[in-house]
Amino acid sequence: MPTPTASQIVPIRRIIAVLGNPNVGKTTLFNRIAGIRAKTANFPGTTQDARVAHVRLGTQQHAEIESVLIDLPGIYSLHLDLSESKVCAAVLAGTAAPAGEESHIPDALLVVIDATNLMRNLSIVGESLAKRLPTVVAVNMIDAARRRGIHIDPDKLSECLGCPVVLCSARTGEGIEHLTAALSNANVPDRSAPTDQLAIERWANDIYAIVSMPADQSTGQSTDDKLTDRLDRAFTHPVLGIVSFVLVMTGFFWVIFKLAAYPMDWIDLWFGSAGSWVGHILPPGAVHDLAVDGIIAGVGGTVIFLPQICLLFFLLAMLEGTGYLARAAFVIDRAMRPFGLSGHAFVPLLSSHACAIPGIMATRAIPDRRDRLATILVAPFMSCTARIPVYVLLTTILFPDRPSMQALAFTLCYVLGASAGLLTSLLFRSTILRGKSRPMALELPSYRIPDLKSALLLTLDRGYIFLKKAGTLIVAISIVLWWMGAYPRQPERKVQLIAQMSNELSPEELKQAYASMREQESAMQSELDIELARAQARESFLGRIGSTIQPIFAPLGYDRQLTVGVLASFAAREVFVSTMAVQIAGTDEVDNEGVLNSIAAATRDDGSPVFTPATSWSLLVFYVLASLCLPTLVVTAKEAGGWKWALLQLGWMSFVAYTGAFIVYQTLTTIGA
Amino acid sequence: MQTQTQPKHEAARNPVPLTQLVRGQRGRIECTDSASDDCSVLRAMGLRPDASIQMCRLGEPCIISLSGACGGGCRIGLAKDIASRVMVHIDE
Repeated sequence: MPTPTASQIVPIRRIIAVLGNPNVGKTTLFNRIAGIRAKTANFPGTTQDARVAHVRLGTQQHAEIESVLIDLPGIYSLHLDLSESKVCAAVLAGTAAPAGEESHIPDALLVVIDATNLMRNLSIVGESLAKRLPTVVAVNMIDAARRRGIHIDPDKLSECLGCPVVLCSARTGEGIEHLTAALSNANVPDRSAPTDQLAIERWANDIYAIVSMPADQSTGQSTDDKLTDRLDRAFTHPVLGIVSFVLVMTGFFWVIFKLAAYPMDWIDLWFGSAGSWVGHILPPGAVHDLAVDGIIAGVGGTVIFLPQICLLFFLLAMLEGTGYLARAAFVIDRAMRPFGLSGHAFVPLLSSHACAIPGIMATRAIPDRRDRLATILVAPFMSCTARIPVYVLLTTILFPDRPSMQALAFTLCYVLGASAGLLTSLLFRSTILRGKSRPMALELPSYRIPDLKSALLLTLDRGYIFLKKAGTLIVAISIVLWWMGAYPRQPERKVQLIAQMSNELSPEELKQAYASMREQESAMQSELDIELARAQARESFLGRIGSTIQPIFAPLGYDRQLTVGVLASFAAREVFVSTMAVQIAGTDEVDNEGVLNSIAAATRDDGSPVFTPATSWSLLVFYVLASLCLPTLVVTAKEAGGWKWALLQLGWMSFVAYTGAFIVYQTLTTIGA
Repeated sequence: MQTQTQPKHEAARNPVPLTQLVRGQRGRIECTDSASDDCSVLRAMGLRPDASIQMCRLGEPCIISLSGACGGGCRIGLAKDIASRVMVHIDE
């Protein structure tokens, strides 16, 4: 038979599913094989996702093999009534695939097991063998097993399982080459395992007895074991546990807020320059305003949170890599259980303090459906970074030149948000999500030095997903909001003049006249511009809606201008400050101290001040409690499995915010504040 | 194939709740009397009948080790509520 030439080589695409228990180093192993080529893809219709990578593992006969590696969620069994188990079972049956991949029964299975915990891990191997697919078993963390004096005989294990077994360490890279070679030649195992759970357990025990020589327990604990034991007792101790938790969390937030401030300033500067550059290039008009005030300002206002989101995911991945988070979940479980939330809700609620969107996405890890729904519903009560500009404005107005009181009010906002969240959970768990929170049973992974590469890859991935969202949904929202604020156009004298002149003057004269008009304008810093902007804010669609529904907000002390600010915030709450600036000062340059002062000194149409103490407190309470973020509602609908949950969240948070602000305003007005 | 299912010492004939073990004490799981969902998850996590465990930390959470030595291998944290429903035979 003639040898085929290069052009005759037919590429073969093999799907390799990577399966294993949680905490066996599966993702580290996957990253070791796939490198940075992987991407995260969702399983359509579920809350589960997987990392997918296209790699070339070797050649078989004359055909190049492209393998699609799918890193499935970590599971304890394929037969549990849990979302992640169901997804894995569906992938193995060829009925589900990550978005962008074809549903197909995998061509090979890579089962990753933990060498330090072989007996339990053998159950998932048994379940995999029953699928009769070409299989390779990777016995990971062999270096840790050796340190503990655990010996595993790979030949005997391979003989018992009827498939290749490779001892490896994803951390050090040991055995990875053997593993990829074994994967490119994988065959259907020549032995099978029982299908009944009890029989699989016995089968696992029997194999364990043959292949493993556990550490001699008479020699006492290894240094690793003693350290783990001591750390565990400290981190879960009723007092020490809380102290260490507070310290870790303080450091966590300090890093997020402090370090993120630098790149946030750069992004702000960059978008500011981009806005002025585009503003100079485009002629004045609707397209100019759409580009500068709609698209660039909208995307800039969102992308500015990218550093915080990246840092949040990076630090979370690093913390998770140390093994500490599982212990922290138990510490927080004690505090949250009375409110119907479990310790599993800890990471989602923690993330929500940066942004509710990643927080809600992190609820996928909560096993119980009702626990998960309760967490999703309360997550937006946590004070996210988008509220910070509003808190800064209002606390400055309330306590001018008294930074300690400003800080106290700021802290109170965080406490109020978290308390409202806990009480909301208590209410929902005793009504529509009735039932006790599922008590926690959690594997406590060994303490390790976190894998920097895995954390960075995850951060890149999450950052990309966030940017994609900013480039689609948030641009759309910004454009709609800009349009509602900018139309219908107020008659602009400038435009009329230009139109008139363009008929009468030559292009050269027109240019000169236009330049001199610009100079005049900037010299005068025209009152007219401010008046025009205020008129625009008043007469735009948003302004008209504001005037129409102002009576609803009157009991909270809000006039037309504040009502417009609140309405504009429904797309994103940080818009409040710039909307107020546009309405009152005729500019959105809120960094300017003069602008903040003019907002503070703003007057209503009847001449009385807009921001009385009662109004400011009422607004502050409203912004702490209200669901003013359209993207969060979209994510809630997606993650909770329906718009009814998003509407419930919106309705309930609006009710709580309105009631809270009403009580505060009416009480303070009554006592004469 | 030889099995390792026979405990070496079985002092206590009657199983006791896991929460009654003292720190460092070893035992073998008899059964998990939890809601069916919890029970199957616990079994898949390794808390299956006849599995050898050691108590590493009492209280909330209660921490047990499945590999026999505290600290190494597989450690599982259990809320007291669950731990009190896991029955074990205490080894001597």
